Amino acid sequence: MSQVVTADGRVLTVPPRPRGRHRTVLAWVAVLAVLAVTALTMAPRVGIDADLSAVAGHWRNGASKIVALLAPDWAFFPRTVEPLVQTLQMAVIATAIGAVVSLPLSLWAARPTNPDRWSRGALRVLLNIVRAVPELLYAAVLVAMVGVGALPGIIALVLFDVGIIVKLVSEQIEAADTGPLEAATAAGGTQLQVNRSVAVPDVLPGFLNQTLYVLELNVRASAVLGLVGAGGLGLLIDAVRSFYRYDQLSLIILEILVVVVVIDSASAAIRRRLV
Amino acid sequence: MSVTSRGAGAGTVRSAPAPWDIRMRDVLVRYPNGVVGLNGVDLDIEAGQMVAVVGLSGSGKSSLIRTVNGLVPVTSGTVEVGAQRVDTARGRELRALRGQIGMIFQSFNLAGRATVLSNVLVGRLTHAATWRTLLGTYTEQDKAIAFEALDRVGILDKAYQRASHLSGGQQQRVAIARALAQTPHLVLADEPVASLDPPTAHEVMGDLRRINQELGITVVVNLHLLDLAREYGTRMIGLRAGTVVYDGPPAQASDAVFEEIYGRPLRSGDVLGS
Repeated sequence: MSQVVTADGRVLTVPPRPRGRHRTVLAWVAVLAVLAVTALTMAPRVGIDADLSAVAGHWRNGASKIVALLAPDWAFFPRTVEPLVQTLQMAVIATAIGAVVSLPLSLWAARPTNPDRWSRGALRVLLNIVRAVPELLYAAVLVAMVGVGALPGIIALVLFDVGIIVKLVSEQIEAADTGPLEAATAAGGTQLQVNRSVAVPDVLPGFLNQTLYVLELNVRASAVLGLVGAGGLGLLIDAVRSFYRYDQLSLIILEILVVVVVIDSASAAIRRRLV
Repeated sequence: MSVTSRGAGAGTVRSAPAPWDIRMRDVLVRYPNGVVGLNGVDLDIEAGQMVAVVGLSGSGKSSLIRTVNGLVPVTSGTVEVGAQRVDTARGRELRALRGQIGMIFQSFNLAGRATVLSNVLVGRLTHAATWRTLLGTYTEQDKAIAFEALDRVGILDKAYQRASHLSGGQQQRVAIARALAQTPHLVLADEPVASLDPPTAHEVMGDLRRINQELGITVVVNLHLLDLAREYGTRMIGLRAGTVVYDGPPAQASDAVFEEIYGRPLRSGDVLGS
């Protein structure tokens, strides 16, 4: 018990702060532990051996590349148009397919909209596997299966999108109030009817929100996927990089930046209308 | 299983189905976490009654009302509504049963982003083909029933508004309309006015009374305010710790009876006032 005097002179008896001391000590121990582990991971032999002195020795190599990146080769623009358009097409198609697949799967993966523990768990394990595999690996394997071009890139992006959308949207469903679902169940609807008539209208804005976010991710990701031959700007990036044309690479990066900014502002405008 | 509307004028939906009675025998509800919701409840509610169930929170009111439509499974004992067993019903049979029992909740439980009409049409789910529900379309007959239900609670003009844009009292009316659209034999209301201000609470209780008196539907309503129970119930059931401690006409329930139900002296918060 401690005493506090208010402005008008009254004395309040304040209850003791619960386990305050212990918590502060624990917090400091945790901070120190994190610092120690971080230092350990960077130490030679034990950790990843991050040699900071290398930065001092080699920074000039990187600097020349940065200088080249600061002077984009504008004349290169016409050759980038077709791959850029292909990248956008891949992103849009993959987002559309991914979204259509993701909505029912999101309902399937969330507890309030799918009370059956086994089927829900099975889908979640599958989605964890889908998310664990990097999209670049999907693309590399798919290029080997279906050949070089946009198709393997699109399939890789769809898998990537489904993994993200289903996780975020199903978590949104689980965080939402289950009262409306209970009411529809009490009115005698099947789970499918309840989900469609009550869960879908309420989850739709969040779902469209994640879809727009994924579209933006796809533009960036599809540029990388080209590195393994899955179409789009990535093929071009790989080509100019192997010729050390950092001025041309700079232009491509600028184009991706512009597209991402445009999508971001467009989705922000759409989102305002949704909410 | 008479869900078809009988009565004057083919095609109209005005005629209410015959009200159901409720029979509970030695009902025990124990939740998975060990809490006992109902402890040996025997109850007969006659068709067409308007029953007020009173008790403090945790007394088993919600458990009682939820065993009637199977939202809460009974651990032992039997529950019958009309001529049907609830406690043994599963799957399609249970859904068909629930489709004939309307339910109203404290927090309205509407899909906030959907229109008022869509919310009321949830009351038609057991009558709608699954493909229609998935496409979001309903038959003209179902829509007519929904509009009529909205008209009955006086908010037909709000049909195409988003449910979340309505006031609390209006939202509870939408919920009542959703229950009415089921053309129910029985309406259950779980603390329907606990989230509303006093004048609105009386309006909503008035709506429930009209459903009972004009349509003849059996109404069971959970309340924790004794003046509402006295005013609107034709019969009062007092619950305490999962057992029935009072059963009789609400008018005869003195303050002493309420103190017995609540297990403590009455406070000013136990009445709504007006």
